[in-house]
Amino acid sequence: MAVNAVGRDIPSSIPGYKDDVVLFRGATKRLPKGNRYGKKNRTTFFTKTDKTLPNIKAAIRESGLQSGMTISFHHHLRNGDYVVNMVLDACAEMGIKDLVIFPTALFGIHKHLTKHIQKGVIRQIQGSVNGPIGQLVSEGGMELPVVLRSHGGRPRAVISGDVKIDVAFIAAPTADKYGNLTGACGQSACGSLGYTHTDADYAECVVAITDNLVEYPAPYIQIPQTQVDYVVQVDKIGDPAGIVSGTTRVTRDPMRLLIARYAAKLIESSPYFKEGISFQTGAGGISLATAAYVRDAMRKRGIKGSFGLGGITSFFVDMLEEGLFKQIMDVQSFDLAAVESISRNAAHVEISADWYANPWNAGCMVNMLDTVVLGATEVDRNFNVNVNTESDGALLHGIGGHQDTASGAKLTIITTPLLRGRLPSVVDSVYTVTTPGEVVDAVVTEFGVAINPKRQDLLDAIKPSKDLPLVTIDELAEKAKKIAGEMAPIEYTDRIIGVIEYRDGSVIDVVRQIKKK
Amino acid sequence: MALRRTMLYLPGNNPNMLIRGHLFKPDGVILDLEDSVALSEKDAARILVREVLKNIDFGGCEVTVRINGLDTPFWKKDLEEVIPCGIDGIRVPKVETPKDIELLDEAISEIESKNNIPEGKIQITCLLETALGIWNAYHIATASKRVTAICPGGEDLRADLKTSRSETSEELVGPRRMVVLAAHAAKVDPLDTVFSDITDDEGLRRETEWIKQIGFQGKSVIHPNQIPIIHDVFTPTEKEIAQAKKIVQAAKEAAEKGLGAVSVDGKMVDKPVVKRAEYTLQKAGLLEGGE
Amino acid sequence: MKTAQAGTLESMDCLVTASEAEKGKGIFITMEGSNIARFRDSILKTAKTTLQEMGIKDVILSIQYNGANDIVLKARVEAAAKALIGGDN
Repeated sequence: MAVNAVGRDIPSSIPGYKDDVVLFRGATKRLPKGNRYGKKNRTTFFTKTDKTLPNIKAAIRESGLQSGMTISFHHHLRNGDYVVNMVLDACAEMGIKDLVIFPTALFGIHKHLTKHIQKGVIRQIQGSVNGPIGQLVSEGGMELPVVLRSHGGRPRAVISGDVKIDVAFIAAPTADKYGNLTGACGQSACGSLGYTHTDADYAECVVAITDNLVEYPAPYIQIPQTQVDYVVQVDKIGDPAGIVSGTTRVTRDPMRLLIARYAAKLIESSPYFKEGISFQTGAGGISLATAAYVRDAMRKRGIKGSFGLGGITSFFVDMLEEGLFKQIMDVQSFDLAAVESISRNAAHVEISADWYANPWNAGCMVNMLDTVVLGATEVDRNFNVNVNTESDGALLHGIGGHQDTASGAKLTIITTPLLRGRLPSVVDSVYTVTTPGEVVDAVVTEFGVAINPKRQDLLDAIKPSKDLPLVTIDELAEKAKKIAGEMAPIEYTDRIIGVIEYRDGSVIDVVRQIKKK
Repeated sequence: MALRRTMLYLPGNNPNMLIRGHLFKPDGVILDLEDSVALSEKDAARILVREVLKNIDFGGCEVTVRINGLDTPFWKKDLEEVIPCGIDGIRVPKVETPKDIELLDEAISEIESKNNIPEGKIQITCLLETALGIWNAYHIATASKRVTAICPGGEDLRADLKTSRSETSEELVGPRRMVVLAAHAAKVDPLDTVFSDITDDEGLRRETEWIKQIGFQGKSVIHPNQIPIIHDVFTPTEKEIAQAKKIVQAAKEAAEKGLGAVSVDGKMVDKPVVKRAEYTLQKAGLLEGGE
Repeated sequence: MKTAQAGTLESMDCLVTASEAEKGKGIFITMEGSNIARFRDSILKTAKTTLQEMGIKDVILSIQYNGANDIVLKARVEAAAKALIGGDN
């Protein structure tokens, strides 16, 4: 055991993860060594002009997938995805076991995997877990710990060789017979395929699964044929209703709007609110409403931004079309308007997760962000943020781009209601550290805005007012405690069921098994 | 004079709104025991409102409680429970005659003295929700020193006027103007009724601009999202602020020199104009609330 | 059996049902609801204290909990208990 830079006791060896655990020592402390990992060379001659195979089982056979290997997936089809379940069903039927699955994220629809976990088809999950699978894992239902990485930390792990992908399965809304892929069109269109690029580049074998096989060459190619080994056509790769939402609307919930107004006022009062501002917000209620208020302020003061980043909604598309952004950089398209825009507008650019957020390359996009608005389950007096575990200690959420954007942006704002029901979200010490306080600049709640005392420059620049009430993080924590009253501690055991990596591959925290409900 | 641009109703049996309503920074909150509480919940709401009043810091908002009407069996109990909790005032529905206020005044005085509250501390806002109430507005507003605001009704008043809601609320133009006139004559605040379509932001803005222009000092509010819009309308323009600053500065200089008269740009300025200018700066958030 | 209720199932509230108990049976409290685990002890304490302050010795309370804090919980317990003692329904 040793204590890392955010005060967490981390064992030096974690079975099923690493024998020589790297401790988190600070946001910019760990530097890469050696060369990048590379897959085997291959050649394809003119004699082969068709990479299609009749079904998923055939592709699994051809790929050489065997028990104990690592397979990867991406989550652009979100809660409408059929591919993960189909592939694991096929593996189970073929008697393949002990797989490590390496998804960019899992959703509620993947609760189907529970039986494959229980029967040993899946030995480990390196990726986010939620819903029933998260509950199962949290209560000790898997032998090996789940390993969580950020959107930038994941390509870092692949490129550096921390994780070797044996077979990458890419859900492709449109493909041709030679493996050119796009998410821009097809019945299951999802827009950007940003999370798949590194997997396509580094996996030993790449299998595309599509429900829209078109004549060669496919349009709007995002993943080129040079990276794809096999193409399989199926009836449906997903349910469009779960893939993209309709138009994204700004919330009318007064509490969320209030927090968003404070967050927007903070951005507007900061030195970063000027010509060429760049920002990222999530698609969550508070984030989106913040973007709406910032947009209004940009209009009012005649300011034009440079780029909008991250998961893209109709909201950013409208801002692009209005001229409030020069470009939008899209790693994941959230709604129909974003899907339509990506093929129509050259200023709407698909970017890979590596380009978006990987700390180990020649410079990722989050480094150029002025401001990002993020959420939290909990934040503590040291500004450490937890987005992974719930109030009962269950591991139910992934990291997403939280660590990456927080460490990249010049102004990182965490928005959260001070209490959810009775549960305080500003606490003495978070149960799980996802993002270290050193990269968090402000916490915005309905009770006021707390700026990290490390940012004296911000404190000097920002004048408090009725529209921007400044408080300290300690005041917020005290207030929350007073309203919520006494709380019993979370009951957990010593056994580690989850490892939270920082984006640089060091361990920022671990999650332990909770008592069964 | 304290700002009363926005007086937010908080349903008396809804813990979420009672506890968090003040966070939206209205100028005042009205914990409501009347219309928003079902008959079967009157007792539970009264207990809840009492506990919330005792334990929650409303962050500088004016705190009032809307009690049940004087024609119900609840109003005295309402007063007894809430007045000892340190509120600023009572909002009373369906006031029709000065006699109503005399009755209320007496009951409040009794509770004040029983609880060692300085006599006269509890203010009254009167809701005039019938034709008779509107007709008697001036006499109601002057029936007790406690009365500091009067407010026309909405739906109840329409019903009593034997009419219904129109797009432009034409039917309430007369009553609203009467309330403004009576209020200013009696030196109390005229406060407007609520705007009930909580999704129509533009309609709210138009109505607020109009009621501000005819002399209302503020508006009752039923949804927190209405607050920023109303504040925005009541926030003075840059030009108004500049002029007000000039007047306040001139008054200050005149006072320092011991001069009785104040002049701005060569024109003499009366005392009420100076007061008005101070109020403008206060609304702009440039001057702390006085008196 | 005589019962009385106070509260709602809305967020930050709870629905308290008080039922008559035989003399000498004492106070019996059950509760259910979301996110209740970490507040169970605190809820029990507040409910019992409120009943004791009212001088109630025998009652059955059932609390359907949805995030009420101590202020709200106390008001709901008091209202339900009062309705049980005073009410006819």
